[in-house]
Amino acid sequence: MAVVTLGTFVRLKLRLLGNGLRGRPARVWLFVAGGLFALYLAGVGFLLFAVSGVGDPQVRLLVASYGGAALVLGSTLLPLVWFGIDDTLDPARFALLPLGRWRLVLGLFAAALLSVPSAALLLATTGLLVPVGRHGGAGAVAAQLVGLLAGLLLCVAAGRAVTSAFATMLRSRRVRDLAGVLLAALAALLGPAQLAIISATQNADLDQLTTAARVVGWTPLGAPYTIGIEVAEGRPVAALAKLAITGAAIAGLLWWWTRSLESAMVGAATAGPARADRPARGGPVSQLFPRLVPGLPATGFGAIVAREVRYWWRDAKRRANVISITVVGVLVPVIVTAGGGRITLDFDGEGFVASASPTMINVTVLFVGAFAAAMLANQFGFDGSSYAAHLIAGVPGGRELRARAIGHAILIVPVLVLVSVVAAAMLADPAVAPAAAGVVFAGYGAGVAVNTFVSVLAAYPLPETANPFATATGSGLAKSLLALVAMVAASIIAAPVLAIAAALGDAWPWLAVPIGAAYGAGAAALGCYLAGDVLDRRAPELLAAVTPSR
Amino acid sequence: MNDSQPPALALRGLTKRFDAKVAVAGIDLVVPAGSFFGLLGPNGAGKTTTLSMVVGLLRPDAGTAWVLGHDVWSDPAEAKRRLGALPDGVRLFDRLSGPELLAYTGLLRGMDPATIDQRATELLDVLALRDAGRTLVIDYSAGMKKKIGLACALLHAPRLLVLDEPFEAVDPVSAALIRDILSRYVAGGGTVIFSSHVMEVVERLCSHVAILDQGTIKAVGTLDEVRGSRSLEEVFVEVVGGRTATGEELSWL
Repeated sequence: MAVVTLGTFVRLKLRLLGNGLRGRPARVWLFVAGGLFALYLAGVGFLLFAVSGVGDPQVRLLVASYGGAALVLGSTLLPLVWFGIDDTLDPARFALLPLGRWRLVLGLFAAALLSVPSAALLLATTGLLVPVGRHGGAGAVAAQLVGLLAGLLLCVAAGRAVTSAFATMLRSRRVRDLAGVLLAALAALLGPAQLAIISATQNADLDQLTTAARVVGWTPLGAPYTIGIEVAEGRPVAALAKLAITGAAIAGLLWWWTRSLESAMVGAATAGPARADRPARGGPVSQLFPRLVPGLPATGFGAIVAREVRYWWRDAKRRANVISITVVGVLVPVIVTAGGGRITLDFDGEGFVASASPTMINVTVLFVGAFAAAMLANQFGFDGSSYAAHLIAGVPGGRELRARAIGHAILIVPVLVLVSVVAAAMLADPAVAPAAAGVVFAGYGAGVAVNTFVSVLAAYPLPETANPFATATGSGLAKSLLALVAMVAASIIAAPVLAIAAALGDAWPWLAVPIGAAYGAGAAALGCYLAGDVLDRRAPELLAAVTPSR
Repeated sequence: MNDSQPPALALRGLTKRFDAKVAVAGIDLVVPAGSFFGLLGPNGAGKTTTLSMVVGLLRPDAGTAWVLGHDVWSDPAEAKRRLGALPDGVRLFDRLSGPELLAYTGLLRGMDPATIDQRATELLDVLALRDAGRTLVIDYSAGMKKKIGLACALLHAPRLLVLDEPFEAVDPVSAALIRDILSRYVAGGGTVIFSSHVMEVVERLCSHVAILDQGTIKAVGTLDEVRGSRSLEEVFVEVVGGRTATGEELSWL
């Protein structure tokens, strides 16, 4: 009997990838576009690392240490918010096979390494070989090459372990709220950390930064990327120690992954406990409408709004999106910008920056509003084939899209208001709250308009797996590129509001909320109206696009 | 039966191809009003593809489908109003509980809330889904999912029911219940067309039968016309051209 090796998993992944692309030109193009985008990012990264070779040793250490740490942190956290993870090999599919836990994890790990993002990551970090080779010779390059490979293993293992652990938490009805709180706490920590870093960079000299970089270099974050520097500076023992640190971190992450993997494998079989605990109140119609959202009409429109509100919370995929995008994509930028704005104020003197800061806040919250609407970009993909019920009932496209937008707004607008209040609190200026709220509403409305179109024209199926962070094979990068384009488009559509804000000057905070809300609502209504026409014409094609192939 | 009355369902030249494969190769079919029509065929014959085109889920490459005289693809609103459907292999909005799903379907259909409450409660009682309470449909068993799907199709009292594999994965007790409900519906003047590959069910229920294979209709007519003096299964295997085992293969079993 043939032995299952790592190669088996790798071949399986390649075969699934190939079969997924075969005979589907659109997907091939998407894959190629994603590859080119990744190549571009990798090239930029390569150059950034490579040019540090012309600097002095301190600069080289700073770039290697902080740059490496940014990559490791990015590959840990980004999958939660933006890219998702390629779930070609769904762990649940292996549940019935006689495979040891470690063999399975190592196999999945090997298959995960074989992806466009990891190739791009490796390519970008090879830029580090340039300064190392220039100052340390062949031995240092060889050492750094080992370090880069170890760093790649670390990045991929971290991304997998963290998404798998969060997927497990979000799936469980008992601890899913805890997962949200945990993410929020993590994000909240970023605020003070950001303040500390900014004040450090502005008050500290290069020596202090170098000391910090040295410390980071001894943590798993920076260790793999500073190995070459240690060899170049004649400390082979230190290099070996750093390699050991990296190896231990990888082993620890893989062990963590094995823990949550078992739950992912049985998760598919036992969907969860029944909810027969509380008796239902009222008739079927009143049960459908959430009591937290009073006043919805008992019509087809109201029913879709009610179901959307329930679905953003009941569907694990949507919930994961709501929680992570809200926390990381909406709250963090505001905390960071507001915090950064205040420090700059203290550091540069009042006059100049005090007038520049509200503009910076406005631009940031504009992006935040557009980003919040990015959740709608694949709103039909979340529902998959259940969208068929709307086709059978003959729901008009415009009504469908308006109801979905309002369902999302009911959840998100309170968050956006919170964002404005947080920004005002951080800047200790009450006028910022209404001013930012106006801009964020305009950005959100424009985002709804753009993403409604995207959701009708560029829908894609989500795999029906237990992992809410899973995306379809090989297309994650291209999809995120599309989302990025949509966000930029939304920001451009909302940009006139920034001009109005600038023109009105001091009067803006008083008029911001009505103007911004009207602008956003108008953009969203127009988008839903136009996209509704398109939807009426191609609803069956949309259903086919979001139905996962089995 | 009145001759001027349009058939419950009429298909003309309905065609669908996927890439190079022709799934449905120009089907002509008339389902008379008031009939209980069984669509038989082996796996991959094109049953689901045909029924998907009838209910408006899949756009045909050519041909037309009329529901009680209304073209499904050029006059969808009128056709869909008269039509109830239970597709196969399609998820329900399964993060709703049973009562919520029924209320949702009724409101989408533009029904009055009081009527929805009354009919939904009655359907849940008859289909023995009342005990499930607030359980989400995703946690239902396969048979319960079929039953709630059928309840959704029946809720607005359509004149034509299109059911894809309504008896698949259903236990005998629920199957008997579904048979009773459908028989009563036809007796009350409704029309049912359903697909199946269970001969026994089709033979017991249907007034009319069509056998579909490789995307074309191989035999069609009333049950007695199609089966003649033989059993339906014999006719089916002969029409479809199945093979019989010689006893040589699988000797290792």
